[in-house]
Amino acid sequence: MLEGLRTAAAGMAAQQQRLDGVANDLANANTNGYKRVRVGFADLLYERGGRPTTSDAAQLGTGARTIDGGRSFEQGNLRDTGVPTDVALEGPGFIRIKLPDGRDALTRDGDLQIDANRRLVTSTGATVSPTITLPAGVDASQLAINRDGTVLAAGRAVGRIAIVNVRSPQSLQSVGDNAFVTTARSGNAAAAPGTILRQGALEASNTDMAQAMTDMIEVQRAYQMTSKAIQTADQMMEIANGVKR
Amino acid sequence: MDRGLYIAASGMLAEQVRQDQIANDLANATTAGYKADRTAQATFGQLLLNNSVTGAAVGSQSTAVQVTSVVTDFTPQPLKDTGEPLDFAINGDGFFAVQTAAGTRYTRNGQFNADANGRLVTLTGDPVLGRNGRPLAVGADGKVDPRALNVVNLRDPRKQGDNLVAGTPAGQATGQARAGALEGSGADPTQAMVDMIASTRAFESGQKVIQTIDETLGKAATTVGSLN
Repeated sequence: MLEGLRTAAAGMAAQQQRLDGVANDLANANTNGYKRVRVGFADLLYERGGRPTTSDAAQLGTGARTIDGGRSFEQGNLRDTGVPTDVALEGPGFIRIKLPDGRDALTRDGDLQIDANRRLVTSTGATVSPTITLPAGVDASQLAINRDGTVLAAGRAVGRIAIVNVRSPQSLQSVGDNAFVTTARSGNAAAAPGTILRQGALEASNTDMAQAMTDMIEVQRAYQMTSKAIQTADQMMEIANGVKR
Repeated sequence: MDRGLYIAASGMLAEQVRQDQIANDLANATTAGYKADRTAQATFGQLLLNNSVTGAAVGSQSTAVQVTSVVTDFTPQPLKDTGEPLDFAINGDGFFAVQTAAGTRYTRNGQFNADANGRLVTLTGDPVLGRNGRPLAVGADGKVDPRALNVVNLRDPRKQGDNLVAGTPAGQATGQARAGALEGSGADPTQAMVDMIASTRAFESGQKVIQTIDETLGKAATTVGSLN
């Protein structure tokens, strides 16, 4: 009886999940190196007839669901900061880092700092991997970072920031703090030769405000109209109940 | 018993099916490449009525209404630019071919990804086929030439869920694949709202018919059959 109730509810749930994605994008509109989420939709299975007054040739859909489309790795705008420890990636790829819990991870947030042990770390405390330690007596202003990631302290090479990429960046798992870890579906990280580092700049979030706002309106209207299908199904059940007075 | 009761009830059941179909269209109002459905009804079995005294034919009457099919409207919809390198849309007729566990299936939802082997796959992980019938590789720049995608015509396309369509391939389609865009959903929310109102009212009419017949039967039982 009135499968449409559940069909519509599935559609509403899908819109809600998409809104969660849009909300996350908007909340991270000013996060360095943030990549907007990509939400896909799919229709659910179709069922055949199955009722006395419905032919088997007629098939009925049962709603919609969202599918995780990973992230959109479109390049964000570069913002000049003039800070020598800031780096921005130009082109596809990531900086390899080691999270405080020991896991290898990838990030596009190049807001680097020098920690108490004189190591290059991200703003959330993950060390650049392999570890780059600055010699004592060298301060940030004497730091030069080349396009290929080579780090020079007072003219002397002290290490190289690894620029890597995976076969399927959309399948990377986001672990928060602007970091991603590789999964079986994403493949392992390998060098990304075509990508360059730019010192003294940061990559802005690639959230498109206008697009996010339009998406939000679309989500809200689709949610509202699907809820009407639930109301109508309810109304029809009331009518059916009214057959016997 | 009065056969009108059953005819009215079958009409109400058909409207319920229509309502379910509209709910599915609305639920998929933002599903890329979704195709809207139409519910088709037909009379179910004709009955020849005769005058019980003279035997003269009175005419035929249908005994019920049946939902014979749900027809899918495969008309191409407008494309929306997304700028994503792995989003594809077909401008015109045709379907992308996808290799699934159940055999080759087709889709008009071109929201694709790369997998760990560097192949172009759907968001559910099924490889997308190229013109040579083999999975396509994503280039080092993260892009795929849209001309390499196989766009085929289908005979008897039939929706299967998960954006997939089953059917018999019938040669290359005239549609052109384009990167960086997705096809909009074919569900028309305004039409759905109107259809929903019309359907509810038809459902209500069925209810009134049943109530009226019930009243008539009530009269037959109480007034006609009264003994005083």
